[in-house]
Amino acid sequence: MEAGRKKASPCAACHGPDGNAATPGTPSLAGQPAWFTHWALIKYRDGRRKDPLMSPFAANLSDADMADLAAYYAAQPPQARPQVVDPAKAAEGRRLVDAHHCTSCHRPDLSGQHHVPRIAGQDLVYLVRLLRAYRAQTVGDLDGFMTAAAQPLSDAAIESLAHYMATLPASPSGR
Amino acid sequence: MRRVTISVLTLVILAAFVSVALAQAPPPAWKQGQPPEMASSPLAPIPLPPTPTPASQIPVGKIKLPPGFSISVWADGLHNARQMVWGARGTLFVGTRVANQVYAVVDRGGRRAVKVIAKGLAQPSGVAFKDGALYVAEIPRILKYENIEANLDSPPAPKVVYEFPQGAHHNWRFLMFGPDGKLYFNMGAPCNFCMPPDTHANVSRVNPDGTGFEYVAFGVRNSTGADFHPVTKELYFVSHGRDWAGDDFPNDTLHHAPRKGLHFGFPYCHQGDAIDPDFGKGRSCSEFAPPLLKLGAHVAPIGTRFYTGSLFPAQYRNRLFIAQKGSWNRTVKQGYRIMTVELKPGAAPKYEVFAEGCHEGDKALCRPTHIEWMSDGSMLVSDDMHGAIYHITYKR
Repeated sequence: MEAGRKKASPCAACHGPDGNAATPGTPSLAGQPAWFTHWALIKYRDGRRKDPLMSPFAANLSDADMADLAAYYAAQPPQARPQVVDPAKAAEGRRLVDAHHCTSCHRPDLSGQHHVPRIAGQDLVYLVRLLRAYRAQTVGDLDGFMTAAAQPLSDAAIESLAHYMATLPASPSGR
Repeated sequence: MRRVTISVLTLVILAAFVSVALAQAPPPAWKQGQPPEMASSPLAPIPLPPTPTPASQIPVGKIKLPPGFSISVWADGLHNARQMVWGARGTLFVGTRVANQVYAVVDRGGRRAVKVIAKGLAQPSGVAFKDGALYVAEIPRILKYENIEANLDSPPAPKVVYEFPQGAHHNWRFLMFGPDGKLYFNMGAPCNFCMPPDTHANVSRVNPDGTGFEYVAFGVRNSTGADFHPVTKELYFVSHGRDWAGDDFPNDTLHHAPRKGLHFGFPYCHQGDAIDPDFGKGRSCSEFAPPLLKLGAHVAPIGTRFYTGSLFPAQYRNRLFIAQKGSWNRTVKQGYRIMTVELKPGAAPKYEVFAEGCHEGDKALCRPTHIEWMSDGSMLVSDDMHGAIYHITYKR
């Protein structure tokens, strides 16, 4: 935990000191399952995920660094993101969450588990960007489930899903 | 001509996919076929830790073996280790699934160094070796790394030997050379339970240069391991039964394919004796080659190898060892062990526990995955949960 807090200082500028980011487009890491954050860093390091800021940062991390960072962020209480949500899109998104089986892996409250992230209360802009990337197959997932899930989504459906997820309370995953 | 058929088929599937998506999208592949009354089931595939477990933290002492056998951690730090194969000069090559890497383990006077020789591959679980070259089966392709053991620190760019038809689910593969010098592999059903496209749900082979593709066994849901009998040279392989049809049904199975072209029943007939209520309408299990042995439901047989060494007691010679990764789709865990099967002409197969103890109640302690033999006749077992390789040896 303490090791993770120190190692997280370069991350604070974008992700916030406690992993609650304020910048639209940057995901919050607070309360994310530790295995999710760890796997995300592995994927930035091995190239399955690419980002101009994250890729060079992850390139220099050891497995132990990643484990420390993941444990630190998992233990931080997640906070609601201040963001403007369209209620009509959110209502449609609620329906789509069921139709697209999001809760199968992300849990009924979308708080995530194991290597599956908390998407409840996550940043709207980030959610849209990542869902589009899964659909375009420019971001790799472990087992192909997110890539498959994103294929049938229209732009409008992605917007609606993100608006709904963004309205949910950012409860910690608890595991 | 075959490619044209595939692309038309792909369009048909895509069209079906899109039309379904308007109302209800398909569930994730692991959940497909789950009956509505099980919708809130907590059962789900066992997630893989993001890092391998250090040897000192692996509960290898929990594994129980017959008298005279002992087990130790032979190598660690091989995240998600799956199939293993020896190179001609004593390098052990190890495939992975979601770690997307291939490792080389070099034994330096009792200390093992692990090198990553390939990364960024799509679930490169299958490895085979012939004439100085390492063959790696990933989801889309078979790759060939020539003269690999002389170039472990700077592996050559691989040649693409063969490209598989599309379909990711159940298409991580085993890969091995048969006694005929051909490469054998599985093309699993791209679903939990469905009418598979003609290209899938089989065991197949190609020549080492990728030519001469042939189906060997049809109607195989997902074979994850195979070997050839040391005496008869005939093919034996295991297959995983479907999920979400009950704790004790259907069984995973061991099959014998003395000739190519047999159909083993998927999706019409389960475990050789239970016709499927939907796909099996108007069919009979007697149309299909029955399994040689039912292995238990959800036990997840993977590593499947005949013992040809002479270190183990004589009764193990020519016995088939089957590593079972263990269940996820079962309320009480089952598998997490290594079994043996004694095959004698005219006698029923004898199915016995060899190693067990890899779960305590609902907690998975270890997951025996693939098997490879040491030159002295002792055994290596990979564990893809801990990212380690165990050594099982025998002393009178």
